[in-house]
Amino acid sequence: MSQNHTRDESKTTATNEVEDLSLRWFPIGRSDDAAHRHVHHAKLLGRELAVWRADDDYLNVWENRCLHRGVRLSIGHNDGTELKCIYHGWRYASRTAGCTYIPAHPADAPARTICNRTFPAGERYGLMWTTEQGEGSPPEIPALEAGSPFALRSLPFDAPAALIEEHLDQYQSGGEVTVTELGPHNLLLTSDQASIVFFIQPVDSGESVVHSVLTTAPNPQNELVVLHHHARALTALRDRIETVASRLPEPTPLEPALEQIEPTDLDGQTPPSRDEAELRVTVARKWETGEGIKAFELVPLTGQLPTVQPGAHIDVHLPNGLVRQYSLTNRAGEQEHYVIGVKLEPDSRGGSACLHESVREGDVLAISAPRHNFSLRRDALDTILIAGGIGITPLLSMAETLSQGGHPFTLHYFAQSSSHLAFPDRLEELGDACRTHLGLSPEQTGDQLKDILDSYTTSQHVYICGPGPMLDAARDLAEGHRWPESAVHFEYFKNTTEVDKSAEFTISLARSGVTTTVGAGQSILKVLRDQGIAMPSSCEQGACGTCVVGVIKGEPLHQDVYLKPGERASGERIVTCVSRSLSDELILDI
Amino acid sequence: MIKLYNYDLSVNCYKQRLMMGILGIDYESIPVDFFPGQEHKSEAFKEVNPLGHIPVIVDGDYTLRDAHAILVYLAAKYDPSGCWYPSDDPELIGELSQWMLFAEGTTNTASAARLHDNLGYAFDIDALRSGAHQLFRVLDEHLWFREREGKDWVCSADHPTIADLAIFPDVMLSEEGGISRLPYPAIRRWTERVRRIEGFTIMPGIQEAASLAI
Repeated sequence: MSQNHTRDESKTTATNEVEDLSLRWFPIGRSDDAAHRHVHHAKLLGRELAVWRADDDYLNVWENRCLHRGVRLSIGHNDGTELKCIYHGWRYASRTAGCTYIPAHPADAPARTICNRTFPAGERYGLMWTTEQGEGSPPEIPALEAGSPFALRSLPFDAPAALIEEHLDQYQSGGEVTVTELGPHNLLLTSDQASIVFFIQPVDSGESVVHSVLTTAPNPQNELVVLHHHARALTALRDRIETVASRLPEPTPLEPALEQIEPTDLDGQTPPSRDEAELRVTVARKWETGEGIKAFELVPLTGQLPTVQPGAHIDVHLPNGLVRQYSLTNRAGEQEHYVIGVKLEPDSRGGSACLHESVREGDVLAISAPRHNFSLRRDALDTILIAGGIGITPLLSMAETLSQGGHPFTLHYFAQSSSHLAFPDRLEELGDACRTHLGLSPEQTGDQLKDILDSYTTSQHVYICGPGPMLDAARDLAEGHRWPESAVHFEYFKNTTEVDKSAEFTISLARSGVTTTVGAGQSILKVLRDQGIAMPSSCEQGACGTCVVGVIKGEPLHQDVYLKPGERASGERIVTCVSRSLSDELILDI
Repeated sequence: MIKLYNYDLSVNCYKQRLMMGILGIDYESIPVDFFPGQEHKSEAFKEVNPLGHIPVIVDGDYTLRDAHAILVYLAAKYDPSGCWYPSDDPELIGELSQWMLFAEGTTNTASAARLHDNLGYAFDIDALRSGAHQLFRVLDEHLWFREREGKDWVCSADHPTIADLAIFPDVMLSEEGGISRLPYPAIRRWTERVRRIEGFTIMPGIQEAASLAI
């Protein structure tokens, strides 16, 4: 908006005014205008804003348009953690404004780049504030800092802010008034009776809202009388000012710049990042959340972390050089930090031992952005979540998301004993929806799984995460009980398949126009990277699905545990870190 | 069964659908081709209502016209709780009558502006819009002070009344007549409360509100 910082005197005052004002903080409503589960509709300098408070009290100030079809988000639903557009139901997370769910693609995680424009938010003197391009926090007004500020009723005016400013000395507060200018559109009015600070919100070129704050709060019994008195005084002043304004030519409405969303950002593809450890986080809290299980709360060194969707995992780059994957166990709507739960593996190859023993509160870790390869549908009539041991971590997050959205679900949690249950406080909050199965033998586990999966009804989905044998058993049972493959979702901890790397074959990259050879012992992933292709990857053992690419021609040799049987049989996708080719050539869609 | 001479896009017919939905009254809808057919001006319809307006209800051998009068009848007859039309409380019924007349104002401004914009009625649109804004300013201030007193509804009762239902549709569809509700945050919150009333019915342009908690 203001690339040119030198003031050009030949430009109209209006343009200069907008340039200056875009750096200023302005009130956009009283704090109670953003009521519980409500979306306040505001406008500042011609720009419409959707202002909403999440259940954790976080105040969001967003551009008032859904990225999908431009519908106003101010008519959307505030469900306490997400704002849902009324038109096609796209959901956006509090804090990040990242899209978390697209009902037309219920099985897919929305791309990270689908993110609404946010503006800084602040609350002071009973008012909500924002700034288009400014920094810091709302202004501190000495007269209010020293007193006991009491916000009066804010009043909309059909008049330009500057005109209101000129006439505010006519405010009838009783007796002689003195007006002191405190800043642009910000005045202090004092009389024998009262001392009021006015903040004029320039809504558009010809519309404003006057916010007024008494420096001294009235006696609580008199509050209503005082509010009525000042509402009358301000209304009388409004009548006078609007009469003047109505004689002026109608000003041209302001045209704030809308940020363009690149079409490539909306095609559902996250641009692959070579920088696998792009985020730096501090371990803000480390605690024992179950026997042999430590939880870590990771906060960003700067800025805001990318949006979390339930079922996401991250790569954690450990101080000892190892890279490990952990599911995020964030609560529904928890976007200010990441939470992971780590079980100390008796035969730890150095990952869990390092986190348990070496990493301390205050340490800085490098992590990847969240990867969403185990996404939760929110359109199921019933959802069954089956967790084995530490497999609870993605499923707890899913359970809480379903609970928040009022979707029916049951979480089955298999663990050694009650002391081995992770996040017991959160399990308790789920009430009857959480069922624990403790200390069962493999046979007993199988019987229990049989009960859980014995009948399938339409629009039912099951999500399973746990040790390989349990997962295999659950999948077999589901198949035996006629669960369709599309209703069975799973995430393995690791791939125990013995990977055959012996064959040599050719890969042709259809989009890149490259043909090359994958030699014995090499992975497709490595060869792609050698060709300069920025391929994302995470576990690099065929479990997480991050490095999947499309196959146009050829017969893949699948050696992963990510793809479902139907996906394997179709031969349309391949997990490039472990899988290879049965045919001499594979043509890849990359 | 009650018969409602009905047009889906009419705010005044919606007021009756809303009331009957909330009170759980079964009714039969008799569609009137209001636009483009102008069926409400036909000779046949004038036998039902000589004024040539909808809605009209027929309850047995009892026929009643005019949206706000029908609300009074439905609530007085079919609401055993006596909340929607609290006829035994003189002060409350006075207030209620005052706001029912206010609703005539919102119908004749905000909803008339909608007829102008949507159906091409030849009205003085500037006068209608400015008239609607004057009423909305009064309503917003009234509801804002109600909130300060811990009250949620147009009348001073701690429950909604037919006055809320009479005003709500005109306000809720005002943007179809070019009347923005941006300057009226207290009205916006009240429309959300109305949309959370149990038994609430939607119509084109009016959706349910987000639930408060699950």
